[in-house]
Amino acid sequence: MNRLSKVWAETRAFRPALVVVIVLVALFASWLPAFRTSLNIQNILTSIAVLWLASMGMTFVLISGGFDLSLGAIATFCGIFLGTLLEHTVVPGWVAVLLTILLGGVVGGVMNGIFVGIFRLSVFVVTLASMTVLTGIVLVWTKSASIYVNDPIAGHLAVSRLGGIQTPIYIMAAVFLIFLYVQMRTYFGRDIYATGGSYTAARLSGIRTERTLIAVYAVAGACAGLGGVIAVGRVGAATPSVDNGLALQAVAAVLIGGTLLTGGAGSVVGTAFGCLLIGILQNGLNLAGVGSDWQYVVTGVILLMSVLAGGLQASRAGRLAQFKQMFGMQAKVTAPACSTEPGAEASAEPVPPPITSRSDETAS
Amino acid sequence: MANLHKWFGGVHALDDAYMIIRKPGVVHALMGQNGSGKSTMLNVLSGQLRPDSGTIELNGREVFFRSPPDALAEGISMVSQERALAEHLSIAENILLGRRLVRGPTGIDWEASRTRASEILTRLGVDYDPGWEVSSLRPDQKQMVEIARALSTDVRILVLDEPTSSLTDEEVQWLFAAIRRLKERGVCVLYVSHRLPEIFAVCDEMTVLRDGVTVAEGPISDFTPASVVDAMVGSARVRGTRTEGSATTGAPLLEIQNLSVAGSLSDACLEVHEGEIVGLAGLEGSGRRELIEVVFGLRPRTSGSILLAGAPYNSNKPRDAIKQGIGFVPPDRKVAGVILPMAVGDNLGLPATSETFRLRDPGRGEVRSESAGVAQMLSIKAALDAPARTLSGGNQQKVVLGKWMVRPPRLLLLDEPTRGVDVAAKAEIHRQLREAATRGIAMLASSSEYDELLELCDRILVLFRGRIVADLRPEEATETRVAALAGGANEETRSGHTEGGS
Repeated sequence: MNRLSKVWAETRAFRPALVVVIVLVALFASWLPAFRTSLNIQNILTSIAVLWLASMGMTFVLISGGFDLSLGAIATFCGIFLGTLLEHTVVPGWVAVLLTILLGGVVGGVMNGIFVGIFRLSVFVVTLASMTVLTGIVLVWTKSASIYVNDPIAGHLAVSRLGGIQTPIYIMAAVFLIFLYVQMRTYFGRDIYATGGSYTAARLSGIRTERTLIAVYAVAGACAGLGGVIAVGRVGAATPSVDNGLALQAVAAVLIGGTLLTGGAGSVVGTAFGCLLIGILQNGLNLAGVGSDWQYVVTGVILLMSVLAGGLQASRAGRLAQFKQMFGMQAKVTAPACSTEPGAEASAEPVPPPITSRSDETAS
Repeated sequence: MANLHKWFGGVHALDDAYMIIRKPGVVHALMGQNGSGKSTMLNVLSGQLRPDSGTIELNGREVFFRSPPDALAEGISMVSQERALAEHLSIAENILLGRRLVRGPTGIDWEASRTRASEILTRLGVDYDPGWEVSSLRPDQKQMVEIARALSTDVRILVLDEPTSSLTDEEVQWLFAAIRRLKERGVCVLYVSHRLPEIFAVCDEMTVLRDGVTVAEGPISDFTPASVVDAMVGSARVRGTRTEGSATTGAPLLEIQNLSVAGSLSDACLEVHEGEIVGLAGLEGSGRRELIEVVFGLRPRTSGSILLAGAPYNSNKPRDAIKQGIGFVPPDRKVAGVILPMAVGDNLGLPATSETFRLRDPGRGEVRSESAGVAQMLSIKAALDAPARTLSGGNQQKVVLGKWMVRPPRLLLLDEPTRGVDVAAKAEIHRQLREAATRGIAMLASSSEYDELLELCDRILVLFRGRIVADLRPEEATETRVAALAGGANEETRSGHTEGGS
């Protein structure tokens, strides 16, 4: 019970998303029998696979105090790279996949990380620029034509099954657990929070803020690269159409998950719920015959509402803390006045006798 | 202004304070140390604060200011310390910003507006082209533009808050020339400054505040620099003996020779020994902040050398400094000191673990338990996993200090170590610093509160306009003397005064 209430307390930051997910699941499950099937649940998860991966990377970027518009472009760019490697070189499939993920990391680290971390340029400008450049490179490289992929490796990762469960779900789970571990159990994770919480204070405490930021954008790029692999596997081709909405949808999922746009606080757990919310909504509305385009309207409203709720919660908690503090202070001053206060004053007074007594002595 | 009272929470910021400007066309000095109620007085006069009691009269008529526009309408205009100019607009636009631009039938008449701005600038005795962009101006020229903007309305009292803190000597003379021109036109100037020579050069009368009370007031001829400092500080007190003896026995740890920083510090020489706390006293812009920033690697030096434990020392980023055993408590704790959303325990462990392998688990290892020990030692009243945001200012400041107590550095740099902190926390921080010094840590402490330096330091260096003008041992330092030196009073006046005063 105690443990349960502790877990419940931990969900505070992303509670709106959690509640909406539970409500949506209950609603769709009771209303639509098709929603409840194991296949449909897996479909929901695989449909958000690319968003999930991008959002995990985006969570760290947001915690570090930035955001990344270029993730969609990096994913497409990496997809094209993978298609070219698989179809026009003799590189083994799994090596090509690893190289693709690596490329995503390098692109993110170099094009975004270095300019944000070392040159301290605005994240908006930097990631908008790399998004634009990459979109252009993709079009020039492919001459706007898709690359059909015959190698089965991408398909294995994106659409096959293992033990009755679709493979992307394993990938999503693995990536989530790695991110959760980094976030909670490494100094690198703590550096991300520190850098986003206060860049100056982190730097003055000896944290390598530049390196941290480069790493964060590289990790996000690698995630987008992996997303690109899955997108290629799902279609069976590397298409040159860049989904620039992906980055913004990822930001929405991260924000719905309670991570702050101002940096310094957040969690991939919340992001997971943010992604689930988007997937469930899309799927449920589709099954209900409403048309999945309504999901955008609903997602937008939920985004606004959950951030608003988070703000209200924070200000209420702030007021509560303030109140407690006032109350606590008052209790200390009035109630145990005889025990603590004179003691504190006794230690304060004799050390600087001329200072504390100056006003009374000299005013007269 | 008479019988002014202003309370902030439990603090009586103004306690029956008054100020009288006797006739048009005088320059009136308002003096007082930090926390004397000076700023409160100015804010009341300019309509930004309302007094809890007391009255303001203009030409014998009582006035009430509910907001700054009210004060402006009565001809009281303030030029504050912080520049408030639109850098990318022209001088004319800045002077006439808003509704004061001349309007013609087809919108703003730029030609007429420029002429009008020119007229105002001529009144100040300067001939800038109103079309110049403000960002291309020198600090003193920007100052003039701000004064010109204040003059664009019908001003009767012009308030200048620390107008010379960023000006060179020559620029100060130009400002004085402009002030004298305003005097001739019957404008009163309320001149707020800590610099005594300036006050005596340009002012006609003076009010001195201390602890919210008007303690002295009258024509400038009634005052001498010594008597002003006396009034500001209180009676000339000899410093109290600290409980522990000063521990200047250690070897020199930090040796600075002829250190200069362009525009803020020239030829500074100083030594800090192991276990010694050396204080830096000086006004804003005296160079004490820059001195500390150079040592921590936040600011490049123009010339000079620094030795750390006898070896040449160089640092161009905080990380280097920390690696070489230097810690820094910055003046602005919310921005540079603590990471507000982060837990207290994590905050405390930051510098101590900055060299650890980044994929290790912060939950393990001894730093965590050491942080807990430091929190207890400093009596930080909060759980280790509480975000620093939820702590009181005093406890936050203890966290900033505690960061350097987990793995103590050889040299600790302190800039305003107790700014905005309650009395109990302040005493606790001072006690901890003294104790750390007995363990051999050298400290360089910069503070705008002279009493703090007197209490804390084994030696006090006083800076004035980028130069170290005095090196005072505990037995020779008094608050009066430090204040006088920091305000630019020359050595003769001061020593003559202290002999007479004590």
